[in-house]
Amino acid sequence: MPEKLKTEKLKTNAGRHLSKMVGDTYMDLHAKSAQGAFVVWIAINVPAELFLGFENVVYGVPESHAALTAAKGVGVLQCEKAEHMGYSMDLCSYARIDIGSVSDGGKDSPTFGLPKPDLLVSDNNNCSLLVKWFDVHHRRMGVPHFVIDVPFCYEPQKDKDRKYIIQQFNDLIRTIEEMSGQKFDMDKALAAVSNTSEGIVHWKRFLSFAENRPSGITAFDSFVQMAPFLVARGTSQFVDHYKLLAQETEQRVRDGQFPVPGEKYRLFWDNIAPWHQLRDMSGSLAKLGANIVGATYTSCIGTVEGSFDFYAFDGDDPLEYCARTQNCYICPHGMNLRGKSMQAVVEKLNIDGIVFASNRSCKPYSVTQLDQQKLMTDQFGVPSVMIDVDHADARKYSKESTFTRLEALLENIEAKRAA
Amino acid sequence: MKIDITKKLAQLKNDGRKVLGCFPLYPPLELFYAMDLVPVVLWGLRGTATDTTESDRHLQNYTCSVARHLTEFALSNGSGLLDGLFMYNACDTLRNLPEIIEKEWEKIGQALPLIKVHIPMVLPAQTDATAYFKNEINHLIKDLEERFDVLFSKDKFVQAVKQIKYVRDLMARAENRVTDGHLSFLNFVDAIHECWFSTVEEQIRILESLIDELSDEPAFSADKDSRHGVILSGILPPPTSVIHAIESSGLRIVGNDIASLGRSYASMPETREDPAAYFLDFYYQHFPCPTLLYTGDRRTTSLLGLVDKTGAKGVIFVGEKFCEYEYFEFPHLVQQLKDKGIQTLEIEIAIEDDAQTSAHDSRVSAFSEILKNNF
Repeated sequence: MPEKLKTEKLKTNAGRHLSKMVGDTYMDLHAKSAQGAFVVWIAINVPAELFLGFENVVYGVPESHAALTAAKGVGVLQCEKAEHMGYSMDLCSYARIDIGSVSDGGKDSPTFGLPKPDLLVSDNNNCSLLVKWFDVHHRRMGVPHFVIDVPFCYEPQKDKDRKYIIQQFNDLIRTIEEMSGQKFDMDKALAAVSNTSEGIVHWKRFLSFAENRPSGITAFDSFVQMAPFLVARGTSQFVDHYKLLAQETEQRVRDGQFPVPGEKYRLFWDNIAPWHQLRDMSGSLAKLGANIVGATYTSCIGTVEGSFDFYAFDGDDPLEYCARTQNCYICPHGMNLRGKSMQAVVEKLNIDGIVFASNRSCKPYSVTQLDQQKLMTDQFGVPSVMIDVDHADARKYSKESTFTRLEALLENIEAKRAA
Repeated sequence: MKIDITKKLAQLKNDGRKVLGCFPLYPPLELFYAMDLVPVVLWGLRGTATDTTESDRHLQNYTCSVARHLTEFALSNGSGLLDGLFMYNACDTLRNLPEIIEKEWEKIGQALPLIKVHIPMVLPAQTDATAYFKNEINHLIKDLEERFDVLFSKDKFVQAVKQIKYVRDLMARAENRVTDGHLSFLNFVDAIHECWFSTVEEQIRILESLIDELSDEPAFSADKDSRHGVILSGILPPPTSVIHAIESSGLRIVGNDIASLGRSYASMPETREDPAAYFLDFYYQHFPCPTLLYTGDRRTTSLLGLVDKTGAKGVIFVGEKFCEYEYFEFPHLVQQLKDKGIQTLEIEIAIEDDAQTSAHDSRVSAFSEILKNNF
């Protein structure tokens, strides 16, 4: 069967829906901007639900746009533009892609870039360099920059910190009201947070099919399916999409359709997805009978520190919930909290080995990985390997070196089984 | 680096002092002194160990040398020389170090107090962080009292503020002597470095001696006016050989925008009895530094102001490899300086450069030639 046909056959309804949803959302963003909407650029941790509390505020997420750019194969081109402007190759590749893309108005972007913002909102808990990155735009475009300061979590979030975050959310709302002339409606924000919470229920259900043997999903599927969190959070589409995804995955499992039918090794991934390698890496692993069935990167969504269990919205105060879940991604978690979450999910998914992807572009995710690796392998007896990647700069990735290590991990697993 | 940090810290311990290792660069020193602790800023630890073997077990090679040297120092001999660690929120690498260090210390049965404080990074015009910060400082005081069996008093705090004010004033005066050519930058750097690992009384003695012992004859008397002035900017001063290269290439260091030097003593808030109010001023009025996220808008103006004040013809950016905070700002700063006719040179210092700096020396010489030809 021709390769193209085979791929088409494997495309799921949720996959098709995702492509359309993402494409439409970016086009809609441009259209609304052209029609006068107030445009905000945000870091991924900034609660997008707040913007749905306004009549006509739209948002774009440079990190998400950079990931999409890398996945579409033009990441390096955009990085090089930033490097020619003087930005070091050691800087985060998302930032370089974004700065490169903005430099010529999104010329080579798969989405024609993002519309020019009226306000930049960064958040320093996932990574504080985001503030410096957004400062680049702030200076070049002359656009105000609002910084949400979230204390790092060495232990579960404290009340004093949550109050401080809520105070800042209120200041952000006030700032947008003043700048846009629009009034914030708390009921609309509440509805948006409810939608997000409901959508995450379905997301978690989708991820739970990794518990099946063989797994009903690959982590690569889940990486791709994260996009709605960055383009449609808080909307009814968000709920519908994840409902479709979960239902369809359930049906496929029932029908005995598995992404890696001959699954011999169940692996777990720690770090951001290598966007430029998704298809190649998943295909090459499948040929070895290995499936990366889960990832810290996707498991953390909708959770709070120290656990990958869903943290539901109680329907009460949307700002309180948004503040409480500010640390839902991995990077704001201290090493001990990360270890606790990872240990639980590794047990739950019956993981044979862990792939720690040391990511040159993401120090917040990568620093402590050497200690995590020791913890998982020495203390909990799970074989693991450290590979070198960069989430969006393909020049910093070597397939040969990576697969030499991955194959060594599989041999290690085999040796452990034989013992 | 002339001083033996290990020996200095051992001496402090022998003297019965409680030593608190601090990072990053701008801890609330006055508060620690007021509570009979000796804060030592764990920065510039290059040279305290021959390699980074211990650190390499925990940190990837794409973390900066500051983090790697700090970790190496803490894990190889830090626990025996310190009574505790203090850290406030800094960059994405440093924020992960406390737990790594703490865990390793626990393994060897030397668990030490680890105190963390969150310094608000919001823009003052955006969010009023006064109440949050007051709570942080009050907790810090309580924590210090409980862990070190010490007491806070307003009188002692005011006294410590005055002492530190005097120390910072002496540092600024010493820098002026560098600017006017009476003191070599290298000697100045060594003296400031020694201060980081000394009691406040000793710092005063070091700095007063440094200034008093200078001869009236400028160090560059013969050709002072023909030497073009340059400013150094970065997180740390460059290695000794690079400083030598700058000073021997016909350039004169007339000012610095270095985090561990000028940025740390350039501003001094008003004396106050309330530590929270004092430190809120301290952080919000601080000389701009990329690590203090809210100072971004003031950074260009400050650097250009320093250039104007000193009459520098060039700025040498001393990039600490993998320091993203600094590197995000370089292109903008370079452009702003070029627009004003100021020449710039960017050199990158990596951990491997401790021994090999000849490439930097050549670039410094070439830069000196450019300045000579242009002015």
